[in-house]
Amino acid sequence: MGTEAGLSADRFVGRPLRRREDDRILRGGTRYLDDIDPPGAAQVAFVRSPFAHARISGVGVPDGLEGVVAVITAADLKGRAGDLPVQGIQGGRVAEEGHPVLAGDEVRYAGQPVAAVLAESRALAEDAAELVEVDYEPLEPVLDARSSDVTLSHWHKVTGDVEGAFDSAARVVRASHALPRLAPVPMEPRGAIASYDEAEDMLTVWVSAQDSHRQLAGLAAVLGRPEESIHVIVPDVGGAFGSKGAPAPETMLVAVAAMTSGRTVKWAEDREENFVASYQGRGVEADVELAFDGDARLLAVRARIWADLGGYLMPTTAIPGHTTAMLMCGVYDVQVADVELLGKRTHKVPTGPYRGAGRPEAAYFVECTVDIAARELGIDPLELRRRNLIRELPYETALGWTYDSGDYARCLDLAEELVRPERRSDPARLVGTGFGMYVERAGGQFETAEAELLPDGRLLVRSGSSPHGQGHDTTFAQLAAERLGVGVDDVELRFGDSKEVPRGVGTFASRSVAMGGSAVVQAVDALKEKIEAVAGGRGMSLRQVAEAQPGLRASARFESDLVFSSGAYGAVVEIERATGRLRVLRVVAVDDAGTIVNPILAEGQVIGGTAQGLGQCLVEEAAYDEEGNPTFASFVGYSLLTAAEMPPVVAKFVETPSPLNPLGAKGIGEGGSIGTPGAVANAVADALGGTRVDPPFSEDKLWRALRS
Amino acid sequence: MRINIEINGDSYEGDVEPRTLLSDFIRHVAGMTGTKVGCEQGVCGACTVQLDGEPVRSCLMLAVQANGRALRTVEGLAGDGGLHPLQRAFHEAHALQCGFCTPGFLMSMEAFLRDHPDAGEEELREALAGNLCRCTGYLGIIEAVEQAAREMRGD
Amino acid sequence: MAGAALVKPAPFDYRAPASVEEALPLLGDDSTILAGGQSLVPLLNLRLARPELVVDINGIAELDYVREEGGVLRIGAMTRQAALERSELVRRRWPLLGKAIRLVGHPQIRTRGTVGGSVAHADPAAELPVALTALGARFHLRSPGGTRAVDASEFFLGPLYTVREADELLEEIEVPEQPDGAGSGFAEHARTHGDFATAGAAAAVAPGGPAAIVLLGAGPRPVRASAAEEALAGGAEPREAAALSAQDVDDEHRRALCTELARRAIEEAMAGVPRA
Repeated sequence: MGTEAGLSADRFVGRPLRRREDDRILRGGTRYLDDIDPPGAAQVAFVRSPFAHARISGVGVPDGLEGVVAVITAADLKGRAGDLPVQGIQGGRVAEEGHPVLAGDEVRYAGQPVAAVLAESRALAEDAAELVEVDYEPLEPVLDARSSDVTLSHWHKVTGDVEGAFDSAARVVRASHALPRLAPVPMEPRGAIASYDEAEDMLTVWVSAQDSHRQLAGLAAVLGRPEESIHVIVPDVGGAFGSKGAPAPETMLVAVAAMTSGRTVKWAEDREENFVASYQGRGVEADVELAFDGDARLLAVRARIWADLGGYLMPTTAIPGHTTAMLMCGVYDVQVADVELLGKRTHKVPTGPYRGAGRPEAAYFVECTVDIAARELGIDPLELRRRNLIRELPYETALGWTYDSGDYARCLDLAEELVRPERRSDPARLVGTGFGMYVERAGGQFETAEAELLPDGRLLVRSGSSPHGQGHDTTFAQLAAERLGVGVDDVELRFGDSKEVPRGVGTFASRSVAMGGSAVVQAVDALKEKIEAVAGGRGMSLRQVAEAQPGLRASARFESDLVFSSGAYGAVVEIERATGRLRVLRVVAVDDAGTIVNPILAEGQVIGGTAQGLGQCLVEEAAYDEEGNPTFASFVGYSLLTAAEMPPVVAKFVETPSPLNPLGAKGIGEGGSIGTPGAVANAVADALGGTRVDPPFSEDKLWRALRS
Repeated sequence: MRINIEINGDSYEGDVEPRTLLSDFIRHVAGMTGTKVGCEQGVCGACTVQLDGEPVRSCLMLAVQANGRALRTVEGLAGDGGLHPLQRAFHEAHALQCGFCTPGFLMSMEAFLRDHPDAGEEELREALAGNLCRCTGYLGIIEAVEQAAREMRGD
Repeated sequence: MAGAALVKPAPFDYRAPASVEEALPLLGDDSTILAGGQSLVPLLNLRLARPELVVDINGIAELDYVREEGGVLRIGAMTRQAALERSELVRRRWPLLGKAIRLVGHPQIRTRGTVGGSVAHADPAAELPVALTALGARFHLRSPGGTRAVDASEFFLGPLYTVREADELLEEIEVPEQPDGAGSGFAEHARTHGDFATAGAAAAVAPGGPAAIVLLGAGPRPVRASAAEEALAGGAEPREAAALSAQDVDDEHRRALCTELARRAIEEAMAGVPRA
């Protein structure tokens, strides 16, 4: 596992260091949100809508119940909390349909919070919540994006003579694909604790989140308070995968409740709530058309994408669909394109970023259609790709982004070599091989860091990035130590507390090394200059410098355009004829995320992402029934893969450094979830002799496909 | 009801309702938050502790059922001599990322390896299926458990 | 979903009797028996079960035993699934039970889960009811009014529904002697390892003699595949017999799945069994 380059003792970038974070975790010393037990805190239980769509004509609040501190409805929030904000999409439009903190006169998805009970214990809060009477008038739900007539987001780009390209094409290949919604399922559900100091007018919020910044901005916007009057602390976080990035309506409610009740208020989400009310991933369909000339060169791409966005726009709901649309040319050299995204309202929980956040969808739609094209054109699928790969980068796409660096051909060659393609058909089983390439946007915006020389000569770095399992503490220590020429143990990191770290952007979109790491490097470089100015060439130790000039610090704000990771995944699968059961025999993951700082951690991200990609292919689907009720409210209805199902995964890195940051880094956090589904889908189709099905590739789907 | 449970050799006393789950007693009455709660349905395994040395889902026991019994949680896994081989192996093999599932895995597999020191890879994978992880993709965990098994066997 | 987020049980009274005699008067429509808790406690947590009284029978030591008496296997209802798994006696003499028990959930579930609990709960995806039906087991029930024994083939009525009345306590599972040289097989499919089985089959085959083939997932309760049993006893090949096992299953894929699992279970059972 990992790689060992011949590095000198003071080089840390590229070293497979084990994590400093581990000891505390292994001994049970972590403090996630629910581990924090402020004495005397009131506990929250939510009343949630059992209907997908309904009018609310009244809420009856029970009186004088044992242990109940307060019952809060939408009426109590008037003047105290507005709807959650909505982030726009570049070049497109989004509707003003922000998520309310509590439902007012309408609910738009089963599980939407309608009222909140504060009580002395969670059990008592639930006892009371069962007695809250909500007058619902059920309405007909809309559950399908294509048939919904309410558009919540729209983006359309046309470049070049699309009509002409399709008219003159030697062959046009058409395909439709559907990716069902997925539940992110971090092992730690969401949660928040709020406490209000009236004398100081300071609201303190602990929240299981991907960073403090977006929580802070969201709270300020929704509560109408200045940011300086809010202190956000992110404790240890047990996974997020995108679902804890945008602030939750429940977090807002907890904050208001603390301010109105004068108590510290705690909400620890339970698993059912997490399944039902946490925003979901994917939920996209596409009609894709590819126009080819007589030499199987791609002339143009046309695509229409329907995104099932749910009942409201959470702050980041519109973003994944937009990302998908902008990546619909994939890794291919084509300058003529017409791509339209229609984000539709349905009566389901909103969707939002979930590991990959639009990139897996694009990779899936493009790569599956390319394989279909190969079959229709009578060309080997890899040969078809090779004829059309972008070979010179940077490359400006027809859809608006510029890919900074990459070597797509090398990734594909390596994937082919490592997967050992196999195709077999015998009475008992079918074996097929498939490939899926991807290019994905990472990084972007800006990130911040501050570096400070401590009195003992050690280095303290405060970062705007925020870890939830990725190992930032180790990775950033490696970067800082190398820059300053100290040992990794001489570096301390600070994350997650809005009063302790500089205001930044946060952790999502695989940005932490490229953006957060670059900011750390720049801050340390700036500090180093100051240190050298004090030392004046006199050979002083850092401790002596700190004594001579206490409080030396430097800050950095690193800004950059998007960087683009890419890769090629290969999979070999086996389908059992008698039952339709799918076994993934092996997966090869070749990722180009530019410079790799810590190969062990990078590989961990690839394998973790691959497991989620495999879950999407094999067992995961967040399906609603015909009445809009979730069928996935527990682990009985929504399966996660276990250790018993994981195939061998070979992970290799191609490193084409990005020119856009001092590290040459791109992003590795999501590649596994982006590249895997296309490869597995193509392998399944290969085994089935060309028949295509949408994921999850369940037994009964494949069994029927074999007999159709 | 007043109950008394021994956790990692120390005695913890508290007042509970019959409906108080053992996981709630461990975490909020005894204050030992190393044991995590991920589903309260007995599927994810994050709440696994050892009751008389055997692995159990603490979210599926009532606290009163453990009255007078002895539990071991993750805080009690490392001995005076340092980390347990399993803990060391998890660290070596990068078998943890966010760490939320880790205590449950440790308590499940420490018991399993004790009872099945010669388990092969397939048996280990099946035993591991009782704990869910969303971060690592399991391959590091499998490697860690195999490594720990070798060390515990004295290979 | 429910109208509220529920993860803590509704309030209930609690009693922990130390003997069967102490337990019996507590049973009734308003009370629920707590055995291993692996099925009941999730229902309590979701408030899908809301008993007024929980009768915890984990303290009834007299119900925890595995022994052989005159060739017959007697299992006390409170025997932990893990104990059954470890039993040499069961592994040697009633191997079908040993195979089935290993597929029940996960090791942590089996530490607490009980044999009696699994039988009384009657989850249609459970392995033990299917294996016990194939072995011709009988279940002994006791109420304040007396005792009765019910054959496994008549005990299970539907999903989570058996002939046991609210005032009856399942005391013992009795499994008859198996013929010398009998073979057994158990095969199942689940979405992921340890998940609820979607389909399965138990087969117990005596050399040149009767066969028992019982399906999981072919209906709301364990289903005896009588046509398949007759065919096998008449000398049919496993594949032929299996083809007859799931004919009453409507859904095509489920029928094919049950058939295939029956074939595997039969072949496993037949391996090493001398044919007449």
